[in-house]
Formats: sequence, C-alpha cells, structure tokens
Amino acid sequence: MSSDNTRLRLSIVGIVVVSLFSTLFARLWYLQVMDTGTFQALATQNRVRTVYDPAPRGRILDRQGRPLVENRGYQAITVIRHEVAGKPEVVARLAALLGVSQTELQRRIDDRRYSPYKPVPVAENVPEETVVYLRENSLAFPGVEAQTVAERTYPHGSLAAHVLGYVGEINDAELSARQGKGYRLGDDIGKSGVEQSFEDDLRGTPGATRLEVDAAGNVLLPALSTTPPKPGHDIQLTIDLDVQGLAEDSLQKGLEAARGQRDRTTGRGFEAPAGAVIVMDPRDGSLLAMASNPTYNPADFVNGIKPDLFAALQDPNNHYPLTNRAIGGQYAPGSTFKLFTALAALRTGIIAPNTTFLDEGAYTVRGCKNNKCTFRNAGGHAYGRVNLPQALTVSSDAFFYNLGATLWLGGGPNRQAIQGAARDLGLGERTGIALAGEQKGRVSDPDTRKKAHEQNPKAYPNGTWYAGDNVNLAIGQGDTAVTPLQLADAYAAFANGGTIVRPRVVARVLGSDGQSVHDFAPEGVRKVAIDPGQRSAILQGLKGAIANPEGTGAGAFAGFPLLNFPVAGKTGTAQVVGKQDTAVFVAFAPADNPQYVVAVVMEQAGFGGAVAAPVARRILDGLAGAPPGPVQLAGGTD
Amino acid sequence: MATATVAGPGTLSRRDGAAPWRHMDFTLLVAVGLIAGLGILMVYSASRNLGHDPTYFLKRQAVFCVLGVGVMAAVATVDYRIFRDFGPLLYAGVVAALVLVLSPLGSNSRGAQAWFQIAGFQLQPSEPAKVALIVCIAAYASHFRGDLDGRRMLGALLLAAVPMGLIELQPDLGTMLVFAAVLLATLMVSGARPRHLALLLLAGVVAVVAVLQLGVLKQYQRDRIGAFLKPTENVRGPAWNLNQSKIAIANGGVTGKGLFKGTQTKLSYVPEQHTDFIFTVVGEELGLVGSGLLLVLFAVVVWRTWRAAALAKDLSGTVICIGVLAMFVFQVFENVGMTMGIMPITGIPLPFMSYGGSATIASFAAMGLVLNVHMRRFS
Repeated sequence: MSSDNTRLRLSIVGIVVVSLFSTLFARLWYLQVMDTGTFQALATQNRVRTVYDPAPRGRILDRQGRPLVENRGYQAITVIRHEVAGKPEVVARLAALLGVSQTELQRRIDDRRYSPYKPVPVAENVPEETVVYLRENSLAFPGVEAQTVAERTYPHGSLAAHVLGYVGEINDAELSARQGKGYRLGDDIGKSGVEQSFEDDLRGTPGATRLEVDAAGNVLLPALSTTPPKPGHDIQLTIDLDVQGLAEDSLQKGLEAARGQRDRTTGRGFEAPAGAVIVMDPRDGSLLAMASNPTYNPADFVNGIKPDLFAALQDPNNHYPLTNRAIGGQYAPGSTFKLFTALAALRTGIIAPNTTFLDEGAYTVRGCKNNKCTFRNAGGHAYGRVNLPQALTVSSDAFFYNLGATLWLGGGPNRQAIQGAARDLGLGERTGIALAGEQKGRVSDPDTRKKAHEQNPKAYPNGTWYAGDNVNLAIGQGDTAVTPLQLADAYAAFANGGTIVRPRVVARVLGSDGQSVHDFAPEGVRKVAIDPGQRSAILQGLKGAIANPEGTGAGAFAGFPLLNFPVAGKTGTAQVVGKQDTAVFVAFAPADNPQYVVAVVMEQAGFGGAVAAPVARRILDGLAGAPPGPVQLAGGTD
Repeated sequence: MATATVAGPGTLSRRDGAAPWRHMDFTLLVAVGLIAGLGILMVYSASRNLGHDPTYFLKRQAVFCVLGVGVMAAVATVDYRIFRDFGPLLYAGVVAALVLVLSPLGSNSRGAQAWFQIAGFQLQPSEPAKVALIVCIAAYASHFRGDLDGRRMLGALLLAAVPMGLIELQPDLGTMLVFAAVLLATLMVSGARPRHLALLLLAGVVAVVAVLQLGVLKQYQRDRIGAFLKPTENVRGPAWNLNQSKIAIANGGVTGKGLFKGTQTKLSYVPEQHTDFIFTVVGEELGLVGSGLLLVLFAVVVWRTWRAAALAKDLSGTVICIGVLAMFVFQVFENVGMTMGIMPITGIPLPFMSYGGSATIASFAAMGLVLNVHMRRFS
C-alpha cells in the first residue's frame, strides 16, 4: 500500500472526526445557549416545591365594629406522612387514641387534598387531655403533632347569615376560574354573601415556603425562602347588629303570628313560610338590616357541612333557607305599587293632587262589554269621593283603576306612563348591591306581555295588552314583580327627594391595623325629578295611611309615637295564583326628614296592613328608641 | 545532551535507549493531564452526596489516575514493535481473560458478567482488551504489509469476532460497539479494499436493523433505544434519565451554575452521574465554557493521536494510533452524545472522566501506546 494511499485514508479519518466533534459542539450550543431557558425552568420545577399556608381570613364587623364573623384557633392532630410511612404500629396507636378505625385513620392520612410536604390534619377539635397525652408520649408518636388551626366562628349564630354568607371548600369550577391566584384543592373560599363578594379582601395572601427537594423526594433544609401568610382584611358592614337582630326577630315573630290567623279565602291558616325585611338609610343607601326567613347557620359549613344537613337546606319543603329573599325573591308589589301609579298620573297631568273620584267599591272600564270589565275593591269597600292623598291613605283600588284605564285609553305616550315612573325609580333593574344572587324583577308592559305569550302560550294565552291589564298594573297586580330591596330602594328615592342610591352593605375594608384600606362611599345612581308639590301630595297620602284612623296601616301603628317620630308608608296585599296573599309593607321615617326605609314582604301571610305593617312597626319601635314588644297583628283589608 | 553533532536522528537514536524520550509529545500529555484532573474534580462533585464519606470516590479515582500514569509510562517505555511481535500472545491472553470472566471466577453486577473481584477493586477485562486488541490488529496488518485482500480481511474479522462475541455474552453492547468502531477504522488504514469496507459498513447497517427487528435485544436495551426515540414517555426510567441529563447540561447555560452548585447534580437528579453521565456535571456546573473546553481538550488528544498516526515510522504504529483514535472518538461521541440526547443510551464511559479503575487505566495505557509510537517516529 502506497504512502499516498495511507495519507488519503488518514484524511478520511480526520474528516469523520471533525464532523463528529462539530456535531457535539452544535448540540452543546443548542442546549446551553439556544434552549437553556426552557431547561432551566424544568430544573427549577424539578427541585422546588412550594408549600402554602392559608392566611387567617379577615373578620366581618357590623357598622359599629362589633364582630359578626371571627376566627377561632383550635387544636388539631396532624401527621407528617413520610414519618409514619411504614410504621403501622404508630398508626394503630393513634387510631386507638382518637377512637377511629385504622382504615379510617389511614384514609385521612392519605387524603390527597393535602400537600405531601405538609402535616396532614387527621382529627379536629380533639379534647385537651388527648393533646396532653400526645405531648407526654411524643416518642411513641413520631411525626404526630398537635397544632392550632383557625376556623370561622359566628358569635351571633345565624344572625345576618344571608348577608355574611358561608365559606366552604373550593370546587373545580371555582378553582379553574381562579387560576393564577394561588388557590389549591382543599382551600376555603367564600360561597355566598359578603364572604363571596369580598373574597379577595377577606382571604389575604397565603404564606409560601419554597423547599428544595432531591431526586428521592427528600426535603433539604433550610427552606429556600419563606413568606409568612398575610392575614385577610376585615370587612366593616353597614349592617347594625342591633337593627339586624330586631328585624330578624320581628320577621320571625310576624310569620309565626300570621300562621295563627285564619285565611278567609281558603278557610285554612296562613302558611307564612317565608319573608324578607330591609332596613335602609334613604340618604346614602346604607343597609342597616337585611333579613331573609327561613335562614340557616353558616357555622354548619365550617369544616364541611354534613350531607343530610346540606340536603335539608336544598329541600323545597324547607323553602330553600339558603336563598336570600331580600334580593333574590320576586314578589307582586300589590298596593305598594300605587306610589308609581300616583307619580305617573301627576306627572302626565291627567289629575291634579286635589282631583276627586267617586269610589263606589268597583270600577268598570269604559266601553268594555264583557264580564272581565269590572274590577272590585279589595274587600269590596266603597270609599266615596276621594282625592289622591285620600286614595293612598285608604288604598282605594277604584281610584287607581281609573288612573290605569284613563292613561291607557287616552293613548299617546301616556299609555306607558306607569311603567315609566316605576322604571325611573329603579324597578325592573338590579340595584347593583355587592351581593350575588340579586334578581332584577319585572315591570309588566305590552312588550313583556307579548314576549311572555310567545315563549309560553299556555301560561299567557293572550299576547295583547288591554285596558284591563293597565287597570291591574295600576294597583300592582299582574306580572309585575319586585324584590324587597328594589321596593325599599324605590321608596328611599321618593323619601330623599328623587335620588336613586345604590344600596350598600359594606362600608369599608379595614387593614390589620384597623385603619381603612378602602372606603365604599355612598353612590347616587341617578336623580329623578319629582315636583315638590306632587311629592307633598303623595307624602300626605302615605302619612295618612299610618296616622289617619282610616289609613290601611293605622291599626298596626296604634299607640306609636307618631308626633315625635312620624311615619309614612304604604300597605300592599298581592294576590298570587294558587297561593295565599303576599303581605307587603313599605314605610319611611321620620316622614319629613327620612332616616329609615323599612320594607317587609311576607309570603302567603295575608293583608299587608294586618301582618307586614306590624312587623315594620315593631322595627320602627326599636329605631325610635322604644323597647320592642310582641308583633301585634292588626285588622285591615290591604 | 551533548550528542548534537549527528548525521541523522535515526542512526544515533538506534543506539541511545534514552533518545526516544526527547521526542515526547508534551501537548498530548498536558491535555490528558488536564482532562484527568478535571475528571477527578467532577467525580467528586457528582459523588459527594452518595455515601458516608464524601471523598470516597474522589480518592479512588485519584489512585486510579496515579496507577494509570504508571501504566502509561510503562507502556511507553517498551518499544511498541515488541508489543506488536507478541501480538498472537496478547490475543490469546485477551480471549482467555474474556472466557474466564464468564466463568464462576468472574462476578456479575447489574446484570452483566463483566468483572473480576480482586481485593476491593473490580477489574473489567473488556477495558484492557480494547487496547490489547488494537495492538493485535496492528500486528495482523503489518504482517501482511498493508495488503489486506478479501481473504485476509475476512481473517481479521474472524479473529475480532471471538472477543466481540465473548463481550456480547456478558452482555456489554457498548464495549462491543467500541470494538466494532476500532475494527472498522484500523481495517481502513491497514489497507483493506474500499469495496470490502463498503460491504462491511452495509453488513453493519443490516445487522443493526436485524437486531432491532428480530427482538434480539434485551428489554433494558429496547427501553434505552425507546427513550432515545421518544424521550417523553416513561416517567421514571431511561427516558426520565435522559431528560434529567439534558436538563442538567442545559441548566448550566454559558457560564454554568458554579462548582458544587448545580442543582441537578447536588440533588442527584441524574442517575449514574459519577460514571456514565459525568459529562452532565461539567455541563451544569461549568456551563458551555467548561464543557466546550473539555471537548476542545478531547479534540487536542485526538489531533495529537492522529498526528502520531501520520508521522509513525511504520504501518503498525499508524494502525495502533488510529485504533486508539477510533476508540476515543467513538467513546467521546457516544457518551457525550448520549447525555445530550443525540445518541442512544449505552454504558460507555467517558475516557479519563468517568469514575472507574479499569477504564481509566486502560485509557492511560492507550495513551502510552500513542506516546510510544510518537516518540519512536524516528527510530
């Protein structure tokens, strides 16, 4: 073989070698320069485990700073998983001490909701002697510890439950909706009420400990970094503990009293299963009380609600205690709607404040020729010749039937003047209170009637709006529906001279030092022009309803110090198909300088003046500084 | 030295036994020394957390290197032509050792019957066998004066097939592949016909395909190849190992995490890190700067070896150097390539870097051969 041939062959070897080394360099460059970021993230993911400590949840206080929701520390037994792994004797010993089966204890230890790098709670609220025993015999219980755990407490039980809401374990939907906010399986989250609306403020920031973990899963100490949990902010409500208590108590007593009354229509007692009360400051929209009955105890949800208890809360026979009827219940307003009809009639000028009408106990629509053309007063009573204030005071249906018919039959833009007045004062739209579950109610008009007919021809066989519908609308019957909060807010706007205020339940967010972090200023939604002369006429009628012996609310307010604390109000009794009458009452006081609006709605409870007004009266007794007595049901026909 | 007035280098050095040492390749020595030194440091970094004594592997690898330097000096001292002349004897010794290790005298570790257990040390005969076989092929080639026709080449293949077959019985696929690479390269410079070499390459490709298709491979070998082809499968297993290896190297970036500061290394995420995956320590802790420098040092060793092959006095010297070169290049490419995910995982050590006595000493012995050929290029 020639020397040249050998050179050639060596050159080939050289070329192969150079290309192999070039390949290695290229790959090295790719990994360490071009793609290093990706892999560095993977390396960090590999070795760093973050363990979270929940922050103590903020408290919820009443307007005077009295706690409605607090946290309580209690003793829990925790187990460090890897320390008891492979030690069945420790598990057996602990099971015996706690009085549970070994299988059950092991199931709790293996609960996948808990981080493998954190002690797992296996028993809560254990007796003190168990804790002492564990501490004295710690050698026999490696990896077992007694720890203080915080839980939600409710010093006033179920008081304001619907406002406060409850806290429960986060579910999958909530978890995926809050990605990136540091929530994990097993975390608590506000499920309703203020706990839900102000979750971000109440929750605080969980503490995070970043641990370095080797390939075998061992934790290397000390931790890479530790951030202590930042406690959640306190929430100060506008709710007043005393007023709330008075409202709930009065509502409960009123419902109980109503159940003792005989319903002349059905011949049975009233069901009176549920109701709601709003106490509101019409000047700034602050809610002093918001009661919904039946209610529940948020403490039942602490550490997970028992299934049978939860099933009971969902049972229709129990009338859905979790529903906040004050914002979520939609009721026909009955005669309380006459405020809007009166405003509409005055605004359109079809009557003056002193225009009179002869109430003969019934009203027949002009030109109408069938048996549905005549509308009777509730109770069939004839009030004679009445003007607007008097008609409000005695709740003359015929007077308002006439207004409804006249407005519709007059044609032109006035045809929907009643709906216009009602919408001006906020009916048919959400008030925007910072609580979930608010309904927007409904102001019935030709359009809604047509739509209802198209969607459900069986329930609404007629898609046309007739004069009779306007007659019904004028006294708050028909398809119109309001929430108790809407009703209170609309009357508040009338009471304060025309400002629609956004109802507010939270006054401010407080930092851990007790200083305000964020103030929720009163918010005026819009201003509605109300002519002072017209307002004064209506006010006169509403005051008469309470103060005039003929007034529909007079019986309920017998003996009330009206001279010092004048009250204006309107009773309402709404007929509901297939059910007993809904009792409604709205009032504001002091009538000439209103500080309180009280709205009461009671399902299947009878006349508003007879049942709902006495509940409001008892609350106003308390607000006027008198000691509250029993709820005294009154007579009445509206 | 006072022997400056000479007619030619050949005439004088033939009489002067010390003369070859004047032609020592110091560049090669320095490169090998730097690699071995870095290797000891990296073995320490990778093994600090493995046992009770953090310096256990450090001390042993240092001892292996010292022994290796001794062996290298001894191999360089004796003229390679004397080794060449003892070629048949060397061959017999290699075959005997490889047979013995399969007998009850050998011991089994992690599924391979590949070691002799001698007084706390494990000797892996396939490592020195690689070096010895290089000398054997050189002897065979020089016997036919660089004229390997078909029959002679077939003879060489048959001779090589015996130790290769014995190694596959252990089984040790990686070392067998090193043999194959050495065989191919040495046959080429020994004067095999180009068409025979082409046929041999073709046969190799057919063999690889057949092995993959016929299911001759052991399960772990299939897993490793699967990991190379589909690195995302198999959470804990070869694919996981490979991913951790790549993460470690890339985690180093340009300048590295710093000595003893690599998290993948410190927290033992890369398996077999002080042995087969030692390159990941360099990659993570010293970054592109360190691992690039290491590759450059390897390239220097290969360059000096290639140069020795080109300058060699005779064909046997050339074949010896090319054999060593093939062994090094294949091991470096396969080992480093495997840690970076461009070659399948096989148990081949990185020369002078991976922890292990037999491999380290055998590598030094191979360097001794190169130095030997280089310094006797005039004699």
